[in-house]
Amino acid sequence: MASLITCPHCGTRPKEEFSIRGAAGPERPSPTARDEDWHRYVYVRDNPKGRYQEHWHHVAGCRRWLVVDRDNLSHEVFGVTDAAEFERARVAK
Amino acid sequence: MSFHDLYRHVLEDLVTGFSTDRNANHLAVARRPAILSVLAAAGQETSVAEALHAVENAAPRFCGPSEWLLVSRTLSAEHLADALFDIRGALVVDQSEGKVLLSISGPAVRTVLAKCVAVDLHPEAFAMGQSANALICHLPGNIARTGDDEFEIVTPRSFAVSVFEELLEMGREHGLTRNFTE
Ligand SMILES: [Zn+2]
Repeated sequence: MASLITCPHCGTRPKEEFSIRGAAGPERPSPTARDEDWHRYVYVRDNPKGRYQEHWHHVAGCRRWLVVDRDNLSHEVFGVTDAAEFERARVAK
Repeated sequence: MSFHDLYRHVLEDLVTGFSTDRNANHLAVARRPAILSVLAAAGQETSVAEALHAVENAAPRFCGPSEWLLVSRTLSAEHLADALFDIRGALVVDQSEGKVLLSISGPAVRTVLAKCVAVDLHPEAFAMGQSANALICHLPGNIARTGDDEFEIVTPRSFAVSVFEELLEMGREHGLTRNFTE
């Protein structure tokens, strides 16, 4: 696991200051989407090996939700963004 | 330095009690500080931050985006809340009874803090007046630089005993003393 995360608000901190929620990739379906879509969004995960995006909460720091872009095999971190900015960028696409 | 400081028995503190005379390295506990939590409404972050920095006899501590603690040793919480009432977009909650303010200082202060705070406190990385939320002795708190060799720590009241005891333990090899300040 990546042991140092550079929070965009707080700077470089150890992983002990964070809690990890899970994949940031899945997009929330619309409230009227089919049950199958909601089932997939809530329960089904790919569990990839390698680079992927994950929600981290900076519990002991700024208490913001972050999206950490990292490789879960090599421990390399490619970038950290505030989850609100991440979501705005995704909506803008 | 007295004879006892040079030839301390390993059980010295436990037998005779901890010294309250101030050493070079010292931990001071503010007896009744005013500590207010301030949030900025969306779009008002910059103006609220500027207004907080302009408040006299009080210092804003950065917690996260749009969030600060305003700390004062001389003003009452009521006085500060009144002063903040006019700041547009500022949401203020008095936290004075729920937080504890510690001040740790001395030539070994960074060596002591390096054992229990994972923030780079070198002056080039953490300048005078800078502050941050971080784990302090395994517990969430806020740390601020108030001098070359002086830092202020704000910790929740319920964690204060644990943080205080651990800071004393970490500072023991440097003769860290402690007392109350008004
Ligand atoms: Zn943070």
